[in-house]
Amino acid sequence: MDKLQAFLATPAGRFVLRYLVALGIAFALMALPPVNEHVVNPYTTFVAKEGALALRLFGEAVTVKEQILASPRFAVAIFNGCNGLEAILIFACGVLAFPAPVRPKLLGLAMGFVGIQVFNVVRIVALYYTGVFRPQWFSAAHVLVWQSLVILFAVSLWVIWAQRYGTSKAR
Amino acid sequence: MARAKRAKRSAFWRRLRWSLPLALILWLLFRPAYNTFLAFAAEKLCRLFENPPATRVVVQEDKAVIGRDDMRTGSGWLGYSLTQIHFNLIPALALILALPGWHRNEGWQKLVWAVCILVASHLLGLVWHVQFFFATSLGPWSAANYGPIARNLFGVLQYLFDIPLTFTLPLLLWAAFYWDQVSELVGLTPPTASRS
Repeated sequence: MDKLQAFLATPAGRFVLRYLVALGIAFALMALPPVNEHVVNPYTTFVAKEGALALRLFGEAVTVKEQILASPRFAVAIFNGCNGLEAILIFACGVLAFPAPVRPKLLGLAMGFVGIQVFNVVRIVALYYTGVFRPQWFSAAHVLVWQSLVILFAVSLWVIWAQRYGTSKAR
Repeated sequence: MARAKRAKRSAFWRRLRWSLPLALILWLLFRPAYNTFLAFAAEKLCRLFENPPATRVVVQEDKAVIGRDDMRTGSGWLGYSLTQIHFNLIPALALILALPGWHRNEGWQKLVWAVCILVASHLLGLVWHVQFFFATSLGPWSAANYGPIARNLFGVLQYLFDIPLTFTLPLLLWAAFYWDQVSELVGLTPPTASRS
């Protein structure tokens, strides 16, 4: 107990505690049925539409029905966990928990949201073409490669943001 | 000082380029044994709280196939991807190994602790999948043996371990165990003179 208290008194402990609280609140909110219905599901449909838009630029005849992105060649369903929200929360909670002034935090949140959106569209397009050309690799690419990359991308964005704005003044 | 800072930062990005494939290779090498261990340990853990013990967790390729010994073989069995449960070892290891000087200040010990916490989260994650499956998917048997509170509790625990913990533990463990190096990396503390 003493060790835990000592740890929580350190900058690492304070960051981890704040990060945990922010994550707990964010993920608890996301799990609530009204939030899921009115925020998460429409957001996931929006992500599917973004993916479809990008794929149409490559000449794919894709259509979107709710959270399913389909073409005569392949179809992908975008679920909670694949919509990029978890990456946004990893990044956003990291920004909110980090000792930095308010304005850089707001800027970071906005830039991070856009960056993760772009990354997620790249993920959807890449997974779509994996499904078209190498369907046997789809599962591994989806879970193993892209989920790992999503986590690393969110953390990398946070590191880049913190390197820029986490000055010693903010401690 | 600014040069030392820049060197530390660029070292992290350089190291991340090889630590990610290295973490992936390590994960691929240990995956078959780890899958077997997880299924075995989850089955034992579930059986600890059963009378008579009847939970079965069997590995089939990458899946944990979950069922019960005391039911007909044709009754519900669930196949769940074990990769989905433990893929977060890859980003966690990649992030830790990419940190310049991660092995300083008992870094190896911290690495073992971080991996132990991840393993515990994987094991509990699989146990909650087993319990949620038993509580909700075996028809009258589920209704007879699990009440609404248990069903909701296992649903919440399954969600917690499936998405929030799986995705956030790598960053949490990385920051918590290697704060000295992470705070140097993000510029909160001046870089030390030691070589990585």
